[in-house]
Amino acid sequence: MTDDKYRAPEGMTLEGRLFRPATLAELAEAVEQAFDYRGDVTLELTSGVKIEGYVFNRYPSGPRPFLQLFAKQESGTIEIPYADITAIAFTGKDTASGKSWEAWVAKKESHRRTEADQAEAAAKVRGHL
Amino acid sequence: MAVPISQMYTVAKYVLTQRLKGVKRYPLVLMLEPLFRCNLACAGCGKIQYPDHVLDKRLTPEQCWAAAEECDAPMVSIPGGEPLIHPEMPDIVRGLVARKKYVYLCTNAILLERKLDDYTPSKYLTFSIHMDGLLEEHDLAVCRDGVYDVAVKAIRAALKRGFRVTTNTTLFDDANPERVRAFFDEMMKLGVEGMMISPGYSYQKAPDQKNFLKRNRTRDLFARILSDRKRTWRFNQSPLFLEFLMGQREYQCTPWGNPTYNIFGWQKPCYLLQEGYAKTFQDLLNDTEWDRYGTGRNDKCADCMVHCGYEASAVEDTFGSWSGFGRTVKATLLPGHVSR
Repeated sequence: MTDDKYRAPEGMTLEGRLFRPATLAELAEAVEQAFDYRGDVTLELTSGVKIEGYVFNRYPSGPRPFLQLFAKQESGTIEIPYADITAIAFTGKDTASGKSWEAWVAKKESHRRTEADQAEAAAKVRGHL
Repeated sequence: MAVPISQMYTVAKYVLTQRLKGVKRYPLVLMLEPLFRCNLACAGCGKIQYPDHVLDKRLTPEQCWAAAEECDAPMVSIPGGEPLIHPEMPDIVRGLVARKKYVYLCTNAILLERKLDDYTPSKYLTFSIHMDGLLEEHDLAVCRDGVYDVAVKAIRAALKRGFRVTTNTTLFDDANPERVRAFFDEMMKLGVEGMMISPGYSYQKAPDQKNFLKRNRTRDLFARILSDRKRTWRFNQSPLFLEFLMGQREYQCTPWGNPTYNIFGWQKPCYLLQEGYAKTFQDLLNDTEWDRYGTGRNDKCADCMVHCGYEASAVEDTFGSWSGFGRTVKATLLPGHVSR
């Protein structure tokens, strides 16, 4: 493998991708990508359990590497050893993708206005305006 | 004078005490992020791109106070997200003020006027209002019309009630120096205590990558803005940091100067980079490979001149020697003395 096997090409997103690492090195690289991803991922564990959540930290070195995530359906954090992971799917929306300044500028004024209005409406619904 | 004497005294005493104790790395400002949820979606902000269930998480007041006590910095800056969305923000602020921390509550001010009753004026509390320029520039930066006018109204209301109010401004490479100078005039006319300015940082996750500044452009832009400075302008930050922005001095980054605590823990290594999290402040200090970060040490740091890394360096310069203190006095008395 190469170090950037799991890296998304420039300007693209990992959203929708599924990784089944074959080696510990590939697993470590896939976890790095999950850590860098601004969306939820779904981890398949050796036990058969699937956990969906946001990977916010990882400890790749040491005798027992593990990651930490906020599970989507639970409160609190969960620690999962690398050794328990068989696959990582980038199932959640990549919240950092597709919002470039260029894309914003390239949109028609009416589209920008619509998006701005939608963002404002969402904040109002939450009582934040 | 932009910063009150009591605050200057507290900071000076704190820094000198750390130096006398031989402490190599000490925090100056705790960057406390109690939530990432915001009521704006500004192009250029890399702090809000998270799934909804993460945006819905918040630090409790107890977690905030514990973080302040753990790192024990004399100042606490509360950015976000938008802090005024946090329902327990008044409690958080009360607890920090009770601990005699100088609190800078950073807000876009959309909710400020409505929430003023929840706060009590204090020398320890400053509302730091996000203002990225005059009306046209600010509303463009925050991607919503009308926000500048709302913020100006809220600033007036806060000042009328006796609150300390400053502004914080992030400048991008399309900034027009004359318009920025006109903006400074306008803020001073409003009566704010002082202004804070900083170049933007190119967050990997920020939507607006194109408009962030490169180092030389940063120096050129700030030299044009800050040279021949008007006597009426007051800045709520180190005068040596302003000279650094103008390219008049070189500093190495002090990433531990503004440690960041949020729902994920203590952020490594700084407010801008996310390379992992530590469970405790001491773990952050001990386990971060600090030599990997800063100008010339890391590609991600190459163009960064942001206040959260370099203002602490300027403060260290001030208190590191008599000549540094002398430079600070000179920069205070003769601001922007280099011709434009």
